Amino acid sequence: MNAKFPQKDDFLSVPIFEMEKALNRVHYKKDLLERVIDIFVKSLSERINAIETDLQHENWESLNTLAHSIKGSSWTIGAQQLGNIAYAMEKAAGSKDIDLFTHLFQIFQDSAQRFCEFEKKVN
Amino acid sequence: MDKQKIRFLIVEDDEMIRLIHKDFLNDLYPESKIFEAENGAQGICHYFESHPNIILLDMMMPIMGGEAFLDILEEGHRSNILKEKPKIIVVTAIKDVKELMSIGKRFAVEAVISKPLVQNQLKSLLEDWII
Repeated sequence: MNAKFPQKDDFLSVPIFEMEKALNRVHYKKDLLERVIDIFVKSLSERINAIETDLQHENWESLNTLAHSIKGSSWTIGAQQLGNIAYAMEKAAGSKDIDLFTHLFQIFQDSAQRFCEFEKKVN
Repeated sequence: MDKQKIRFLIVEDDEMIRLIHKDFLNDLYPESKIFEAENGAQGICHYFESHPNIILLDMMMPIMGGEAFLDILEEGHRSNILKEKPKIIVVTAIKDVKELMSIGKRFAVEAVISKPLVQNQLKSLLEDWII
């Protein structure tokens, strides 16, 4: 692994989920937030599968769009850590850096798993 | 613009963000009609069917993105196929300043707002247009 690559700890200082931001985004409607998070969690696993496939074919355009999309939705619902990793992935896709992208994708998957576990506990 | 006759079109690939936009617009303008599209191609179909006055447009989407959507609307307007000019608000997670500035100059784009969307920004824009 390249020592210059960002490490897991570089992203861990940011919260996995910021409830206040998420609630603010949906005007403190808890039922809407539940629906929104449900959609987000389902889309996460779909997007991870899509990234795995696109990574095999080095389909950079699609990887860039996927990372960009994850970044937007993560930041929208206060999943700040996932959004930040996705932003780094988007930049890696833009420069077609497969080693960096693969490294970040591993960190992303760990973070996604933690997000899902956290979300289960909260609910 | 009369709030009873407002037709919104949300062009956004992310279902979750479409839901948040839709809920927000419904609260602000309960009498409005809101149409949704998952990408630029669906957006064009909805545009011809529903003639929205205001469009919330994402830029990076699979199948057809916001750039191509704007190209088609612009061409339609230039060739007089489209008579009315909608007001387009681009809501994007693009961070590159040059790119954002160039989007702001595109046909019918009235504003470019960064994701995550600060809804008060959108609200104040809409209040300037809708009576």
